[in-house]
Amino acid sequence: MHRSRHLLVLAALSAAALASAPRLMGQGAVPTIGAPAPAFTLVDTYGNEHSLADFRGDWVVLEWLNYGCPYVKKHYNSGNMQGLQEAYSAKGVKWLAIVSSAPGKQGYYEPAEMNEMNEKMGQKSLAVLLDPEGTVGRMYNAQTTPQMVIIDPEGTLLYNGAIDDKPSSRPESLEGAHNYLSAGLDEAMAGQPVSVPTTKPYGCSVKYPG
Amino acid sequence: MVGTVEIELAAKPVRPHPARMRALRILLLLCLVDPGRSLAQESSLEDPSPHSEAVLLAETLSIRPGEPFSVGLHLTLEPGWHSYWKNPGDSGEPISIAWRLPDGYRAGDIEWPVPEAIPFPPLVSYGYFDEVLLPVEITPPPGLAPGDTVVLEGRADWLVCIEDGFPAEARLELSLPVSRAPPSRDPSSAFLFQSAREQLPEPDSGWASFARANERFLGLKIDPPDELEPALEPGAASARFFASENDVIDHAAEQRPDWDGGTLVIRLARSGFARGTPDTLRGVLVLGRRPDGRATRAFEIAAPVIVAGSPQDPAPAGAPPVSGGGGLGLSLLFAFLGGILLNLMPCVFPVLSLKVLGFVEHADAESGGAARQGAAFGAGVVASFWVLGALLLALRAAGEGVGWGFQLQSPLFVGSMAVLFFVLGLALLGALEIGSSLTRLGGRDPARGTAGAGGLGRSFFSGVLATGVATPCTAPFMGAALGWAILQPPLETMVVFTALGAGMALPYVVLSLSPGLIGRLPAPGRWMETLKQLLAFPLFATVVWLAWVFGLQTGVDGLTGLLIALLLVGLLVWTMHWRRGIGRRAGAKVAAGLAALAIAALAAVTLLRASRLSPAGEPVEGANSSPNLASDRDSVDWVEWSPRAESEIRDAGRPLLVDFTAAWCLSCQVNERLVLSTAEVGQAFEEHGVALLKADWTRRDPEITRALAELGRNSVPVYALHPPGGGDPVLLPSVLTKEIVLEALETHVPIASR
Repeated sequence: MHRSRHLLVLAALSAAALASAPRLMGQGAVPTIGAPAPAFTLVDTYGNEHSLADFRGDWVVLEWLNYGCPYVKKHYNSGNMQGLQEAYSAKGVKWLAIVSSAPGKQGYYEPAEMNEMNEKMGQKSLAVLLDPEGTVGRMYNAQTTPQMVIIDPEGTLLYNGAIDDKPSSRPESLEGAHNYLSAGLDEAMAGQPVSVPTTKPYGCSVKYPG
Repeated sequence: MVGTVEIELAAKPVRPHPARMRALRILLLLCLVDPGRSLAQESSLEDPSPHSEAVLLAETLSIRPGEPFSVGLHLTLEPGWHSYWKNPGDSGEPISIAWRLPDGYRAGDIEWPVPEAIPFPPLVSYGYFDEVLLPVEITPPPGLAPGDTVVLEGRADWLVCIEDGFPAEARLELSLPVSRAPPSRDPSSAFLFQSAREQLPEPDSGWASFARANERFLGLKIDPPDELEPALEPGAASARFFASENDVIDHAAEQRPDWDGGTLVIRLARSGFARGTPDTLRGVLVLGRRPDGRATRAFEIAAPVIVAGSPQDPAPAGAPPVSGGGGLGLSLLFAFLGGILLNLMPCVFPVLSLKVLGFVEHADAESGGAARQGAAFGAGVVASFWVLGALLLALRAAGEGVGWGFQLQSPLFVGSMAVLFFVLGLALLGALEIGSSLTRLGGRDPARGTAGAGGLGRSFFSGVLATGVATPCTAPFMGAALGWAILQPPLETMVVFTALGAGMALPYVVLSLSPGLIGRLPAPGRWMETLKQLLAFPLFATVVWLAWVFGLQTGVDGLTGLLIALLLVGLLVWTMHWRRGIGRRAGAKVAAGLAALAIAALAAVTLLRASRLSPAGEPVEGANSSPNLASDRDSVDWVEWSPRAESEIRDAGRPLLVDFTAAWCLSCQVNERLVLSTAEVGQAFEEHGVALLKADWTRRDPEITRALAELGRNSVPVYALHPPGGGDPVLLPSVLTKEIVLEALETHVPIASR
């Protein structure tokens, strides 16, 4: 008696949940830290394909990039980002910048223009990958530029979040900022667990299509 | 009523409404007054505040010494542009003021009017359109001279965005005369201050509120006083909660407010970037919006956060209800029933069959002896349950995530049990006299022919042993009782554990107290010897199982270590046996004794070292993932459980079955082999589109312990079936049949739901 009532209520709940299911879909699910990083293949500004799988055996950093964003400018005009790119590339880290801006939106450039921008900004990443559909951005729940991701040589996602703990576009905020990316990379590459595996990213919204 | 009320995002980025028209008028006015600051000018690199302007306004025409007064940062934005609240949401940055005040002045925090939620799918920002006045209270020093003029200075920083954002800043400066007279309002700012104050959230009223947290959601429950309910009800259906902190809730997720008889429950999805669970959920609750986007009612909220399943959890009220539980009475009943059923579980059987033999042997002895043995056995069982309960409580108090069967999460314990069962088995085979005392668990000493005082001790010990081997099993009913007990104050926990022990001991105690029943058992004879020897084999089977668990915990090197330890134990037993046979040659006896000691020490060291190994050296898929210990790696469909894996599947609205299991949990293994991994059930999972996650508790895992606690459990197996669309989980029984699983799928996961 009691049981059957329980079942009825559950059935009703399921039906209600079912009705609202489509609305729940597609909400920003966050890729799991400690699980395999979502696989992707993107084309860089020179037309070369890069798959995450190609970097098996290497440490990988993903950086969400939008040259028009003041927060990104803070890190590029100060040389902070290029410094990190250079320092970790020297340690064998494969650094991939990803542009998830849709065509016509801030931060989107045609490949040739993007190469000019890279030249001008002193971009030191291995490649600047174009994600105009925002597919890979959504896959990694990229919310802002900059947003940083660390992937270990086995392809495991170790960090996803802000570059540092100063959510400001003012260049002076770089002073005394704790850089989550370099802290996480240093820990992970020393064989230690990443003590802060996720933080709320800050910056400009990623300019997704639509 | 079951169902949800959709929440409407109150603001669209661009929408003409009266407030914006007013803003335009103010802009025009500004242009007339001060052409140099015109917003109409093109934003250039030189313009420090593109698309927006900020000025500092005073509420009063003068100030008095020592008396707090209000100023306000008045920000005006071009139509369509917005700036940000104290929590900017998914992107952006709050408006900020860096004050440069004269000595002795103190500036309070910005008082933030209610923001709008500004969607940029898949993201959401919190902020303001058109114009906003942010009041700040300033406290001047008491020693001001009337007639003086004070100058307040500072710099405002903000981000102005349409979709792209631009940093903006403005120098702030405001002069105010000091006067002894009561300050009068500045008529030019009165309207702005009044309108800003109307949009400040009402202070936290101290209404009964709390937020119940599980892995994915914060269920905010608010119970306003009765007299306010009619005023709040109209806005409740479109209620929206704005969290003060940036990384607590998923800003873009649907909130599903539910107004039920004067209580408002809002389900907030937790942020995927959250670090830990906050103690208090702070923010602003907005009930209803006027057409111009302004809030009808808004309240500050500071709700204590209660983690589902924690000791503070006020039963499964509010958010995600969990089945099971019940009060002390029901838990005691379940514990008692569970204890009785524990006797039938496969891991207890070999030890208890010995116990039955003990009774048979007593059939010819005086019944008082049997009663004493029964009581001693019962005492042994209950005392062991107390020790287990106390240990569990102590470990809990020390913050360890442990639960029923926790000792089997220790390889050393598993290895020791394997050695013990091995010796018991050898002893039962009867070839080894040194083991004879062990074979008479609870029985009498045949050498003396009577049930002596030593027999009582052995009965007690057999109770202890029976409890020890029972822990891998969860009998029906036990799960709910243990799940409840573990969250109670120590006394209640111990009472439930006592009931469990009493239930387990009951059949033997009853048997031992009833001479008539014992009399009906078959008379002792040769069959007993045969049965004893046969019973050695279930014990050896138990050794095989324990060795398998040990191997999963420690890897192949560890398993080899255990086997070597067993080999040494065999050698030890043989040495002891040989020592008896060599008569009275003292020298040889001493040598054999020393050799036995050495072998025993070697066996102990081998076991200790083996139990410290881990299977880390073995190939494991995924660097950070632990091997799926309990699974047979037989089915590809089962994916290793993690809180995030679970929330991803549930966010996607998919139905999900989580199998909480452990290698040392025999009931789990039986269910998996006979039910869950069968082709028929596997096909049903596929048809119903059920995602399958396996949470492996073979080794200690606080996350799994927490997930179990959320379900009101503290033991395995637990099978949590989450219906599609994110409803509350249904717990399947701990003993599964194919019919149970198929029926549950039919009931809770309609095929059409995919």
